[in-house]
Amino acid sequence: MVILNSIEQLLTHIQDVQKDVIGLSTDSLLKISTFMEKNELEVDEEVAAALQYQDIISQQLNATIEAIDSIKLNINRFSHLYKSDEDLAVESMNKLHDKLNATLNEAKDKKDRFSGKFADNSEELDEIEFF
Amino acid sequence: MPLVIFVDDSETALASTRMVTNSMPIEVKQYTEAQVALAEIKAGMTPDLIVTDLNMPVMNGFEFLEALRQVPSTQRTPCLMLTTETKAELKQQGKALGLTGWIVKPFNPAQLKQAITRVLRLPA
Repeated sequence: MVILNSIEQLLTHIQDVQKDVIGLSTDSLLKISTFMEKNELEVDEEVAAALQYQDIISQQLNATIEAIDSIKLNINRFSHLYKSDEDLAVESMNKLHDKLNATLNEAKDKKDRFSGKFADNSEELDEIEFF
Repeated sequence: MPLVIFVDDSETALASTRMVTNSMPIEVKQYTEAQVALAEIKAGMTPDLIVTDLNMPVMNGFEFLEALRQVPSTQRTPCLMLTTETKAELKQQGKALGLTGWIVKPFNPAQLKQAITRVLRLPA
């Protein structure tokens, strides 16, 4: 179980780094946009896209933070069960494996969903769709 | 001037839209929480166009849209979804809720301006 504790601590550290990256990139972009607005600078297509990258980066990182939360929860459940009854360990390990795979698949789905025009089908997304 | 409200939990996304729309003949109000915008609408604010993100905590874009359709003053107000989501089933869900259009991030400034101009029937 020591190894699981180490993994959990590592995951927590990764989450902390991700949160810092979101915070710093948000601060950075808001400072740039404040400067641009103050100086009435026009944004062209490329600059507008670049300014929006931060939003996409934040969404991607938030999705992985959520996935890590889910993984940590399942690891904790497994550890608790293992301590209470070692006979259940193998069965619990299989359940943990299934849950981790499900979490990974959901995280991969969100990566694609939150990619906007950077998704694989980006060529179809150039136009605004009116209903 | 027509009132356009933007709802997005990302302050940086709102900053991007603000920089694009500040030269347009519209009044802009921005909200990081849909429920706050909804409360102001219920209190009497009457936007001419609503541009909202989809994935937001507490109240997402679809929930916001559904709530707007329950308010008499915004039952027919045009709404555009501005999101990173590209799935066809989500677009269909939005369409069924009376969404006017779907814009995928990162948006093109000229296209966003054109969309607002078209929906509000502003002079080109």
